[in-house]
Amino acid sequence: MHHFENVGLYDAVFVMQDRETKTLWNHITGEALYGPRLGHTLGPVGNLLQMSVAQALELDPEIRIGISDRAYFAHGQRFGTAPGLIEATRAEPPGRGRGPAPGGPDASGPGRGGPGTAPGERELLSAFADTLGVEDTRRPRMELGLGVWNGDTSRYYPVERIREHDEALIDDLDGRTLVVYLDPATNTPAAVFANAAGAVIKEDEVRLDDGSVIRGGVMYDAAGARIDVERPMQIFTRWYGFALTFPDPEVFGD
Amino acid sequence: MRARRGFAGAVAMVMAVALTGQAPASAQGGFRESLPADLPDGPAKEGFDIDRFSNFGNGWFETFYVEEPEWLRTVLDEGRLEPATRVLVFDTADGKLALLQEQMSFHHLAQGTAGGKDWLATF
Repeated sequence: MHHFENVGLYDAVFVMQDRETKTLWNHITGEALYGPRLGHTLGPVGNLLQMSVAQALELDPEIRIGISDRAYFAHGQRFGTAPGLIEATRAEPPGRGRGPAPGGPDASGPGRGGPGTAPGERELLSAFADTLGVEDTRRPRMELGLGVWNGDTSRYYPVERIREHDEALIDDLDGRTLVVYLDPATNTPAAVFANAAGAVIKEDEVRLDDGSVIRGGVMYDAAGARIDVERPMQIFTRWYGFALTFPDPEVFGD
Repeated sequence: MRARRGFAGAVAMVMAVALTGQAPASAQGGFRESLPADLPDGPAKEGFDIDRFSNFGNGWFETFYVEEPEWLRTVLDEGRLEPATRVLVFDTADGKLALLQEQMSFHHLAQGTAGGKDWLATF
């Protein structure tokens, strides 16, 4: 097994390196960027789905979980013996408190807002911004959205535009019907292939006009039977990260 | 769009969130010092400018090597998780596997072997 670790930034996105060959890799596409493994790609690349424990058990009662020694919280208790995100990345020990919030190392804070950034919006830390290439200025740099790619098509769905469609919409991706929605349980965007012409969110589920529903991340047909769902490759990201990884992507609604 | 040549020691790779960052608290304080990066002498993908690479964050995070996954139901029943706890779920060659989102916010990378096949998760 090759051993991977994050070693720095490029295009304001973390890049990983394998310890054995020192090659730098894109963590979204799995493509080698720099080093002796140039021309190679990790893969196949799949989706890592965000959900709750309850949803995961509904998806698969036999699912297993990997838990490390790092700090996490449940039932108001701290579990894990090793420091969590904040303690591990700050120069000074943090004050007393609940501990780290879910999330990654922050690219936002005092720094540069970039194209289209309105006052009060998150800005990009200078350490990240200094690694940026030529940006696509069609959308605000720090906007959040769902990036989807399939075959030769890459498309960005701004969260704001999903909300404008009452948090669920139908689109076409390479001739297939795609449902894009904000998951009622996790409030994160997601996309699945389906056979429907309309979708609405009601009572914490996505209801499609063919009678099927998506509940807890699982799709059921009109009779209530579970359906295996197919998803395009997708990633929840800021605009700059997607547009620099997949140059000139389509933007839903443009 | 994507190269398809295999990697020696091929690894299935899954990802959910681009590592652009999300936790404002860590931005409010000073960051730890980043370690120097040990870089090879190329070659570079067309368009990749190594002069724009920064070692920011190098040495902060520790990849999680998953060796003994537990049954999620058991962990929940033992009170070590809540039904609402956020997890990241993906398919391995030996069935579905979950990782704690809160822990992956630190690790960012997790690796393991399941069903005889290596996997790599990025978050």
